[in-house]
Amino acid sequence: MAPVLPLVLPLQPRIRLAQGLWLLSWLLALAGGLALLYSGHLLAQLWLLRTFLAPSCPFAALPQVALAAGLGALGTGLVGAGASRASLDAAQYPPWRKVLGPLLVLGTAGGGGLLILALGLALALPGSLDSALEDGLGTALAHYKDTEVPGHCHAKRLLDELQLRHHCCGRHGYKDWFGIQWVSSRYLDPNDQEVVDRIQSNVEGLYLIDGVPFSCCNPHSPRPCLQSRLSEPHAHPLFDPRQPNLNLWAQGCHGVLLGYLQDFASVLGGGLAVTFLLQILVLLGLRYLQTALEGLEGVIDAEGDTRGYLFPNGLKDMLKTVWRQGGVAHRPAPEEAPPEEAPPEEGLPEA
Amino acid sequence: MALLKVKFDQMKRVKLAQGLWLMNWLSVLAGIVIFSLGLFLKIELRKRSEVMNNSESHFVPNSLIGMGVLSCVFNSLAGKICYDALDPAKYAKWKPWLKPYLAVCVLFNIALLLVTLCCFLMRGSLESTLAHGLKNGMKYYRDTDTPGRCFMKKTIDMLQIEFKCCGNNGFRDWFEIQWISNRYLDFSSKEVKDRIKSNVDGRYLVDGVPFSCCNPSSPRPCIQYQLTNNSAHYSYDHQTEELNLWVNGCRAALLNYYSSLMNSMGAVALLVWLFEVTITIGLRYLHTALESVSNPEDPECESEGWLLEKSVSETWKAFLESLKKLGKSNQVEAEGADAGQAPEAG
Repeated sequence: MAPVLPLVLPLQPRIRLAQGLWLLSWLLALAGGLALLYSGHLLAQLWLLRTFLAPSCPFAALPQVALAAGLGALGTGLVGAGASRASLDAAQYPPWRKVLGPLLVLGTAGGGGLLILALGLALALPGSLDSALEDGLGTALAHYKDTEVPGHCHAKRLLDELQLRHHCCGRHGYKDWFGIQWVSSRYLDPNDQEVVDRIQSNVEGLYLIDGVPFSCCNPHSPRPCLQSRLSEPHAHPLFDPRQPNLNLWAQGCHGVLLGYLQDFASVLGGGLAVTFLLQILVLLGLRYLQTALEGLEGVIDAEGDTRGYLFPNGLKDMLKTVWRQGGVAHRPAPEEAPPEEAPPEEGLPEA
Repeated sequence: MALLKVKFDQMKRVKLAQGLWLMNWLSVLAGIVIFSLGLFLKIELRKRSEVMNNSESHFVPNSLIGMGVLSCVFNSLAGKICYDALDPAKYAKWKPWLKPYLAVCVLFNIALLLVTLCCFLMRGSLESTLAHGLKNGMKYYRDTDTPGRCFMKKTIDMLQIEFKCCGNNGFRDWFEIQWISNRYLDFSSKEVKDRIKSNVDGRYLVDGVPFSCCNPSSPRPCIQYQLTNNSAHYSYDHQTEELNLWVNGCRAALLNYYSSLMNSMGAVALLVWLFEVTITIGLRYLHTALESVSNPEDPECESEGWLLEKSVSETWKAFLESLKKLGKSNQVEAEGADAGQAPEAG
C-alpha cells in the first residue's frame, strides 16, 4: 500500500528540516513555559479570590489543566530540540532511534489531548463565573458584620481589601450596602432611639442605613469622602447624591471581577492556541524526520534520497495491523500482565 | 621581592586566560543587573517624589546606573583582551595599553566600593526629605482646586492605603491641620463657627482623619470622626483601640521601604565588587605572566606572575620618587628658563 503523505527528503532538505525543527522546538518550549507560568499566576489569583467564588465553581479546573498542558508542551519542545540536534550528528542519533517512536505517541496523545482539553475549558468555563460570583459575593456581603463568627471572621477584611484593590463598591453598585446590615449588633447602642427605630422599621429586624463602608471611597474625589446619609439630597453641603460624582467607586465588584477573570481566561486561551499550533508542527516535523532516517537505516550522512511519511501504509491497513497485534497479544495469555498497548491513533489531530 | 609570586606554565596561562574570559562575560551580566537595579530605584523615587517635595537626591540610583554601564564597557574590553592574550601576534597590539588599563580598573573598583557604601548610608538624608515632604503634602491635602496641588489628596490617600500608614508620625498629625476644604463647610452651622473661633488661625480643626487611614482588619466599621470622644461611639475607648486605624506613620513606613530596597541593592553591589576585584587580580597575574615570558619564540616555557614587582613599601617609595622627579624636572626647566633670561636681562 502507498504510504500516507510521502515526502522526498534528500540530504540538504533533511538538514534544513532538522534545523528548522530545532528552532520550532525551542519556540514550543518557550510557549509551554509561558503557559505554565501564566496558569500558575491565575491559580494564585483564584486562591486569593476564593472567598468570592462559590465553592462549586468549576473555573479552577482551567488553570490546573493548562498547567499540565504547558508542562507537556515544554517536554515536547525539549525532546524535539534534542532529537533534531542529534539527527545532524551520526554518533548521537542511535540512542534516539529507540525512544523517538514512543515519545511521539506520548506527545501526540498526551500533550495534544491535554492542549485540546485546556482549549475547550478556556472556551466553556468563563460562562460559569457569573453565577459563582453572584453567590460568592452575596455571601461575603451578608457576612461582612460577622467578624466574631468562626468561619466568616475574615469576610470584612477580605471584602474591604477587594474594594480597595479593584476599585469597586458592592455587588452591582453602592446601593447594595443599603439592603444589608453591615454594622455588627455588638457596636449598636440598644438605648439609642434612632437605632431602635431603624431596627423596628423592617420585618427582619435589621439595622439598615443609607451608608457604605470606608473601602467604597474614591480617592480621586476632590472632597473628603461622604459615607453616610447618601440617600438624602440635602444632608451634605454642595453634594447631590443623585448626580454623577467621584465620591464613591461607581462600578460593582461583580462586573469588575468578571472582567478581570475573563481577561485572564482569554489570554490563557490565546497562548494555548499558539502552543497547540507549534506542537502540531513540531510533532509532524519529528515524524517526517524519524521516518526519513529510518529509511536510511540510521546512517545519517548518506547522500541518498529517502522518503518521509506519516504512516507506512494506508490508514485502514494500519488500523487492521494494530487490531491484529492487539488481538494476537490478547489471545494466547489472557492472564499475563497487560499486553503492549497499540498506540491510540484516533487521537491524532491531523488525520 | 615580588608580592605574591605564582609560577605559570603554558597550561596554567591558558586556563587563566579562559577562566578570565568567562568571568568577564559574567561580569558584563552583573553590570546589566546593577544598571537595572539603579533604574528601578530611580523610577521608585520618581513615583513618590510628590511626597518628598520633588527635592529627593538621585545620587545613589544615578551612580548605580553609571557603574553598571562602566562595568559593562570595561569587562567586555577585558574579555576581548583575555581572548587575544593567548595569541602572541594579537596580544602584541594590546601590550602597551595593559598597564594604564589596569590602573583604570583599580580606580573603577574603588569607585564601585564607594557607591556601595553610599547605598547603605543614604538613609539619613532620605529621612529628613520625607519628613518635610509629608508635612507639606498633608498641608496641601485640602487644596484640590489649586492648580499644581490638586492631586495631593489622591497621592496621600493612595500612599496611606498602599503603605498601611497614617499621617507623618501617627494619626494625630491630622488633628493639627485643616484637611477639609472651606468649600465643603456649612458656615451657617454653629458647630463649624465654634471650631473656627476656637483657634488663633481660624482653621477648622477636627479630631478626625481621612478614610485612607482606616484599617480593614478592624472588627468594627471604621471610626473616622470624634476619635478622642469616647461617648460619641458605643463601646469605644480611644486609649485601648488599636485596630481601628493604621498605627504606623508614613515617614517610618516609606523609610523602611526605601532602606530595605537600598540595603539589598548595596548587598548585590558588594558581591559584584568582590567579583570585579577578583577579575582585576587575575588580569594583573595574566599581564605579568605574559610579560615575564623569557623566550618569546618558545611558547611552552614557564614564567612567573606577581601582583607587584617589589614589596608594597618599595613600590610606594618608587611611586613617590617618580612624582618628585616629575616635579624636579619642571623645576629644573623653570630654573633653566630663568637663568637663560637673567643673563639676557643682566
